[in-house]
Amino acid sequence: MKKSVIISSLLQAKELKDLIDAYIVPIDDFSINYDKTFSIEEVKKILELGNEVFVLVNKNIHNNEIDELKKFLLEIESIFVNGIIFYDIAIVNMKNKYKLKTPLVWAQEHLTTNHRTINYWQAKGVEYAFLSSEITKKEIDEIRKNTKAKLFVLVFGHIPMFTSRRHLVNNYIKYFSLNDEFGGNKIYKEGKKYPILDRKNGTTVYSDYILNVTDYDFSLFDYVVYNSYLIDDMKDVLIDNKYPLEHGFMDKETIYRVKKND
Amino acid sequence: MIKPELLAPAGDLERLKLALLYGADAVYIGGSFNLRANADNFSLPEIEEGVNYAHKLGKKVYVTVNIAMHNKEFKTLLDYLKELDRINVDAIIVSDPAVIQIAKENTNLEIHLSTQNSTLNKEAAMFWKGEGVSRIVLARECAKEDIDDIKKNVDVELEVFVHGAMCASYSGRCVLSNFLTNRDSNRGGCSQICRWDFDLYSDEKMVEGDRPFTFCTKDLSLIKYIPELIKMGVNSLKIEGRMRSGYYIATVVKVYRKVIDEYMNNPDGYAYNLEYERVLRRCANRDSICQFFDGTFDESVQYYNGRTEVTNQDFLGIVLDYKDGFVKLEQRNYFKKGDRVALFGPLDEFEITIDKMYDEDMKPIEVAPHPKQIVYIETKFKVKRDYMMKKTLDKD
Repeated sequence: MKKSVIISSLLQAKELKDLIDAYIVPIDDFSINYDKTFSIEEVKKILELGNEVFVLVNKNIHNNEIDELKKFLLEIESIFVNGIIFYDIAIVNMKNKYKLKTPLVWAQEHLTTNHRTINYWQAKGVEYAFLSSEITKKEIDEIRKNTKAKLFVLVFGHIPMFTSRRHLVNNYIKYFSLNDEFGGNKIYKEGKKYPILDRKNGTTVYSDYILNVTDYDFSLFDYVVYNSYLIDDMKDVLIDNKYPLEHGFMDKETIYRVKKND
Repeated sequence: MIKPELLAPAGDLERLKLALLYGADAVYIGGSFNLRANADNFSLPEIEEGVNYAHKLGKKVYVTVNIAMHNKEFKTLLDYLKELDRINVDAIIVSDPAVIQIAKENTNLEIHLSTQNSTLNKEAAMFWKGEGVSRIVLARECAKEDIDDIKKNVDVELEVFVHGAMCASYSGRCVLSNFLTNRDSNRGGCSQICRWDFDLYSDEKMVEGDRPFTFCTKDLSLIKYIPELIKMGVNSLKIEGRMRSGYYIATVVKVYRKVIDEYMNNPDGYAYNLEYERVLRRCANRDSICQFFDGTFDESVQYYNGRTEVTNQDFLGIVLDYKDGFVKLEQRNYFKKGDRVALFGPLDEFEITIDKMYDEDMKPIEVAPHPKQIVYIETKFKVKRDYMMKKTLDKD
């Protein structure tokens, strides 16, 4: 089991160098859900730190972004990162079309919920999968038993729970002609505070809590992931995690039918 | 120029029949494994009845099998797919590729890719075509240039949403419902958190407009753009709303049917009819715009008026029979003698003033206040079963 961190700055990457095995790096123009994204030049600097590097290309790709994506994929191929964590299926097609060798990580966020689909993608040449945070530990363990794909599991950090192309915060500010000089935003409901981030590629809303399932046994999994977004003391977390345990959906199965269909 | 299919939602058999009667070429319905787990979904015998009914009319039925599958759901999936194959449904609408694989290996079912997969570009479309998908339901975030370019570059049928409610998120990328209500949005449990009000804070200071913060978006309507979509070669024009009423479905289907037919019958002389837009707006009772189709997604797409969509009272009743100058009607909303109303069917519409009406025993009555009350109305217009009666629109 390797430790990986979704990083928030180059400085942080350097600070964490000896504490982790892999960096997950959000990419300029192709990542969503993260405030800080990185250029290819910065990715090269991160590679020099000696750990594994996975680039995060997790936005939905619009048709007019395909040419830029192609340029990016060819460039990233030449610098030998360990993998591309992707959301849009265009990337699978382009990997085959341009005979790219960089491994792929299927990471369709909330849709990576079963082993059969992971095995489907593996048969298409996708070696890794990043599991959904909305499934139970029991389901996660079942997936582990039933696939040979290498698996990523989020064990710490805020969880993105809503991603829109729309600029929801900026739209609200503009519509009501409010002061647009705002810092970090949150939305409140029933006493809970949810971080909300509106950037160039759209809006993300995060869980009110910081997931912390570091007490669970993930030794059979390939990568555990720490999300550093909105976490100031990431180094402390990795050395001596004092955050309260928060198990998210690990022990809590969601329901979807409130009225029985007879 | 290919005439596109008009595809309507149907939440149950009654609405399936109404949608087809009022002009849909095909309907999509949910059975098991669909994203409206709390709708009155179809049992297998009901699907069979619906398919037989549609096929007799030369029309089609597609069944949604589009949840994000969890391990345990696969236990019953194969039997279900085999039954759909036996019943002869015209296609299944799928989002999870493992379902595609299982369907292809074990059935002859045609496969459409759900919008849940958010296909926005030609590369993804090429991939899915290679996987044996015959049709792709495009993401609602596609602009017209995207649709056009995908159509030109990939030989696969395209289905485009033209009318109805929108997710505020990219499809598949919202689990607000899971976190706030423990209901799994990607398995049909969506509790529409995007329509809730929130308080927006910047640091510790509340950012307060005249109305609370919400993600809520206006509805989609591409009624103006139907000719453009037809010219692009879009194969299917889809109406959203499996949980909508029969009245809503009949009204919306009828309007889109008219627009498609009017354009196809005379493309050069076609003129957009503003009246249709007014009928649609009144029926939905919510603002609608073209959303991403024209490439804009600024503050004008948001819906900040709160949940003002009061129950529409326009639908007054459904016709059960017509005999000897009397319409036999089942009441849906209050009406009274002297009201100006419209009786409409799939192809026609008549305005009348209710001069005389009677109860079930043919005793004269002044008002019809009770839901499902049987009422007889005298009229010379020969209407048929499943015609509807509505309030007339104000000529504003």
